[in-house]
Amino acid sequence: MKVRINVIVNGEKHHLEVKPNHTLVDVLREELSLTGTKKGCGSGKCGSCTVLMDGRPVNSCLILAPQADGREVVTIEGLAGREPHPLQKAFAEKGAIQCGYCAPGMILTAKALLDVNPNPQEEEIRFAIAGNLCRCTGYSKTVEAIRSCANSSRNNRPSAGRKAYA
Amino acid sequence: MRDLDVVGQSYPQIDAMEKAMGKTKFVSDLALPNMLYGRILRSPYAHARIKHIDISKAKSLTGVKAVVAYADTPGIKFGPRTEDWTILASDKVRFCGDEVAAVAAVDEDIAEGALDLIKVEYEELPMVSDPLEAMEPDVPLIHEDKPGNIAFEFKIDVGDVDEAFKNSYVIYEDRYYTNQVYQAYLEPMGAIADVDLSGRITFWVGTQIPNMMRMTYAKAMGVSPDSIRVIVPDYGGAFGAKMENNVHLVAAVLAQKAGYPVKMINTRHDDFIAGNPRVPMYIDIKLGATREGILTGKEVRVVGGAGARVVYAHAIVATACYRADSLYRFKHVRSKGYTVYTNTVPTSCFRGFGNAQMTFVLESALDTIADQLDIDPAELRIKNGIGPDEVSIHGWIINSCGLKDCISKATEAAKWQEKRQLKKPFRGIGISCCNHVSGNRAFAREFDGAGGIVRIGRDGRVTVYAGESDMGQGQKTVFAQIVAERLGVPLNLVHVAIVDTDFSPFGLGSFATRGTLMGGNGVLAAADDAFKQLADVAAEMLEANPNDIECSNEKFFVKGSPERNVPFKDVTEKATFVRYGSPVVGTGFYNPGTELPDAETKYGNISPAYPFACQVAEVEVDPDTGQIKVLNFVAAHDIGRAINPMATEGQIQGGVIQGLGWALMENMVTENGSIANPDFLDYLIPTALDSPNITPILVEPIESSGPYGAKGIGEPALNPAMSAITNAIYNATGIRIKELPVSAEKILKELKKRPK
Ligand code: FES
Ligand code: FES
Repeated sequence: MKVRINVIVNGEKHHLEVKPNHTLVDVLREELSLTGTKKGCGSGKCGSCTVLMDGRPVNSCLILAPQADGREVVTIEGLAGREPHPLQKAFAEKGAIQCGYCAPGMILTAKALLDVNPNPQEEEIRFAIAGNLCRCTGYSKTVEAIRSCANSSRNNRPSAGRKAYA
Repeated sequence: MRDLDVVGQSYPQIDAMEKAMGKTKFVSDLALPNMLYGRILRSPYAHARIKHIDISKAKSLTGVKAVVAYADTPGIKFGPRTEDWTILASDKVRFCGDEVAAVAAVDEDIAEGALDLIKVEYEELPMVSDPLEAMEPDVPLIHEDKPGNIAFEFKIDVGDVDEAFKNSYVIYEDRYYTNQVYQAYLEPMGAIADVDLSGRITFWVGTQIPNMMRMTYAKAMGVSPDSIRVIVPDYGGAFGAKMENNVHLVAAVLAQKAGYPVKMINTRHDDFIAGNPRVPMYIDIKLGATREGILTGKEVRVVGGAGARVVYAHAIVATACYRADSLYRFKHVRSKGYTVYTNTVPTSCFRGFGNAQMTFVLESALDTIADQLDIDPAELRIKNGIGPDEVSIHGWIINSCGLKDCISKATEAAKWQEKRQLKKPFRGIGISCCNHVSGNRAFAREFDGAGGIVRIGRDGRVTVYAGESDMGQGQKTVFAQIVAERLGVPLNLVHVAIVDTDFSPFGLGSFATRGTLMGGNGVLAAADDAFKQLADVAAEMLEANPNDIECSNEKFFVKGSPERNVPFKDVTEKATFVRYGSPVVGTGFYNPGTELPDAETKYGNISPAYPFACQVAEVEVDPDTGQIKVLNFVAAHDIGRAINPMATEGQIQGGVIQGLGWALMENMVTENGSIANPDFLDYLIPTALDSPNITPILVEPIESSGPYGAKGIGEPALNPAMSAITNAIYNATGIRIKELPVSAEKILKELKKRPK
């Protein structure tokens, strides 16, 4: 038995038939082939499946597919405009990516933080990403990357990052 | 050597942008047409006889394409080093999580559902999960042919330890325990397996050792190594864990049976209970020193829990028994190591490979001795530390050695003197050092070293092939920088292929902190060869002697006159034309000239170079709650030349935080033989909030054997971290931590024992 859902993913409307027990991460990865969203635990404990739902970061492995009905979802594939998002550049340039399995979720969490708090203090950054595990970097460079974006003028205007999906 | 352009620069990892954009396809992102999904039925018992398995119901479930049990496997005993594995359990299960049967179905839900339909009748057997208990008489045998459950014994005895102890002013003796911890890479283990018409099996698998894995799996599947191809796509971390594991082989058996590719990725739960976590060890240490603080003798007894089968635990126990002896100027050492079967998950490699366990113990013991002798712990280490161009007690030829530099730089940056002298209550500062290897001849048995291939096409695109895979540590970037430097081209011209055993050199793999030194030298030799081929063509174009040709900034020129030059791409194009389309392919290899240690004495230089480190931690302990806070952490590392300083810093920061996790948070709890906390809810690893900023310091003595002077960094980044922290706790509270991890409860309990 399947249920129909309407969901906007990265600005595109999708009408999907999904198993009601399936989670958003499975729908994204399997139905839409958006494998940028990772699955590190499947139980809400690692943050690697983080996507933005109506602008807020959620663990997509905890969202049942029907709950995504009528929502707007942004995945890592949809974050960049014509150019990579400044956070994506900063993560790469500052060495915040080693294996990179955590990166999509981490970057989207950081994006959501900067949207509401364009100039976060280090503690605020650490608090915001505390649900995103990274086993490689030790977080020093992750924090540095996010901070470097906080100081850039683009993110001082919180609307800039959202524009593409407004 | 001319000035370096590309080596020594902090480039982002060459594939970082792809990863940041979500474009990288990790193993678990891959899909093949008609691919099935596999699931494994695992034993709920730690030790039981299998009386009967009935797979018939599962087979008839719609959507199920194959169900397999032991009878469907080749039934061959195999193993990476010890042939105590079978692909699925034959007559008995030996740990909770042991592979019993498996299903491949059109989707994961169906596969999962089919597992419930497999009926297995077990007869429970008495079990043992503690390695010391497992050695006792009258304990049930886990493998009947191994009396006392002892899989391996290791022995080393050099000098006269008893005499050394007699001549000691202080002797410290104690028992330590290092617990079982989980690597917790973010992408769980797994593979896709596919079988072609000829029966040849292809694995897409995240592994550190594609070629050694191929040899092991050929044996397991009863085929020639040539009938196995291993492709290593990008994968999400490993830290030692991603070597051989039954999860891959079960996928292959299912693929054979079903006739379709099978994807088998561990759930996080399965990864916890059937991955290969760190070897837990009981370590008894006896350490002597003179009144002046010169170390006299060291004796250790190591009992390591291998779990239900030996993966690499025996080599890890051996490493614990003797590697740290070459950190100081020991003259008299004796070790005994036991690798012991238990009814728990098979344990294996985790960053540090036994040296991490022993470094914690030795550096704790040293700290105690410093205290007893009233010598500054940093001073004690400087007094005894090995130096450049020395030969250690086990015949290790220490070329470059920045140990003492590391100590002085780390203590200076951490304000060691000041903080020791003006000690505040419940604040403490601790120090720890370590040595390590860059390749381990004792482990790589047939040979050690590495080969490389550098292919340069008509358009000047350079592709590097190596056998050392990138698990996220930045191996590709380091190889690209080395090759770009040698060829004289910018980094963006150089690409590094994923490891594919059909195309790549027969590399031993990414372990033993060997990737950069061994693999790097391999690709450097190949680049050298490719360069010479291009230089011949360029020499003709420039009407010069090939030996005088140089290249930098993508231009070939005659040494001394860079103004007359030909572009790199003109030369690669010409080279392709004059060879009728054949690309320039440079090949080369590196022979480290290391020695297989003597079987009896273990004497022999096992690595071409040895990295060193000193880490200093500062902690604060809350006397009311026992909570420990790491306030400051400095990590100084002798890594030879840093090919990429930013990547090196990243390795250090990540390694230290893993060590911090081990010291303060992480513990796999076994209850009645099963792991009680197999998820990230109950098994906590450091989050951003648990992680202090780490200050890395790079100490760069140029290592003569390394590519452009480099040594390795992976494992030494972690080794000293635990004892830096526990020594700081000792300095803060006087509590000597002898068992990992430390917890607030343990500290509080100790504090309460004290008179008020
Ligand atoms: S996969 Fe969703 S939180 Fe781990
Ligand atoms: S970079 Fe590997 S988990 Fe974060």
